[in-house]
Amino acid sequence: MLLALLLPGTLIAAESAPPRMANGRPDLSGHWANPYTPDMAAKGSVLDPQTLKPLQMPRTELKDAKSAASGPGARTLDLPYTDWGLKRWKSYDPVHDGDYAGSCLPFGLSRNMNSPHGLQIVQGADAVAFLFEQNTWFHWVPTSGQKWPTDLPPSWNGQSIGHWEGDTLVIETSGFNGYTRLDTAGHPHSRQLKLTNRFTRLDASTLQHSVTVHDPRAYTRDWTNLRTWRIKPPADMIMEYSCEESSLENLFNGTIKPWKPPENDDED
Amino acid sequence: MRIDVGISVRAMSLLSLWIAGAAQAHHSVAAEFDPNKPTSFTGTVQKVMWMNPHIYTYVEVKSAEGASVVYRIEGGSPNALYRQGWRKDTLKAGDVVMVTGNRAKNPESLNIGQATIAADGKKIFTGVGPAGVAAAEP
Repeated sequence: MLLALLLPGTLIAAESAPPRMANGRPDLSGHWANPYTPDMAAKGSVLDPQTLKPLQMPRTELKDAKSAASGPGARTLDLPYTDWGLKRWKSYDPVHDGDYAGSCLPFGLSRNMNSPHGLQIVQGADAVAFLFEQNTWFHWVPTSGQKWPTDLPPSWNGQSIGHWEGDTLVIETSGFNGYTRLDTAGHPHSRQLKLTNRFTRLDASTLQHSVTVHDPRAYTRDWTNLRTWRIKPPADMIMEYSCEESSLENLFNGTIKPWKPPENDDED
Repeated sequence: MRIDVGISVRAMSLLSLWIAGAAQAHHSVAAEFDPNKPTSFTGTVQKVMWMNPHIYTYVEVKSAEGASVVYRIEGGSPNALYRQGWRKDTLKAGDVVMVTGNRAKNPESLNIGQATIAADGKKIFTGVGPAGVAAAEP
């Protein structure tokens, strides 16, 4: 410490180094500002998982698609869809078919990670908890070899298992019920979805996050988003958030059409 | 109208551009409101419902004949607004405001989204902003 004080640059380096747990692992704990990502297929953001270089998409307008659910403009060929995935992308219509997010049902792990409200990471030696301010949801990730029961039913957020690759926490998640969308824009996924989220704490205030989407029913190849999270100021603490507070009235007065699970519960 | 928060109105107006993402985050605002149905009117604040996921400011508009319509102006999330310095009593019943925004796609709805509320020429917890920028990085 004395040496650090005597060497100005050393102190800065010491303060900005990633904090570590008693077991030597990087400590990802903190209240993080995650970039709001309503459209995971925004131009330039769809990357090759290995090279992290942008994938070139046709981006031709889909004239027979429903109107965009997020942002201006029409839907395009913006991801490597299978026929099944393209059909789901073109037909997504929360206004007329029911809006599961407007109905305050769980948004799914992908949309939780995309939300603009920030989230708290609480890390222990054997698990990591994600506390999403959005709707006061949580997600539990064992990181020391614990396994979920194999007969758990599919769920909105899936079941995650984490492991460390060097200083990077790798979280693999599957077991989704298929009711959610990847983002506000409505990019589709099936029950075959497997998400791989990677977190590397670059320094005290920066977390690098990538997510790779693997879903052979919806996409012909895997693709990745890469984002940078920033630590929030100490005075900015996670707050309560109840989606139902005002959405109930919008559901009752017809502004938001209530969502119902599909009658054919076989992924369609 | 009284604004009793600790930052300048100018700063709040700039910060208001920040809020759209939060307004869009919980569900598809684009799916709820029609950009081809813009509207603008002056009315009187009845109440502010400071609730998640969107606050609603109820604004009454009276016609020359005395008929009254109360619109619900959708704003950002209370948490995002609070962090920007807004408070639930920033606007009070009786304040005269000018509203610009888009009508809901549901023709029976009196909700106004993607809206800007202005009082004394200053913007108050608007939900307008460049999509994806706002909370973009809250």
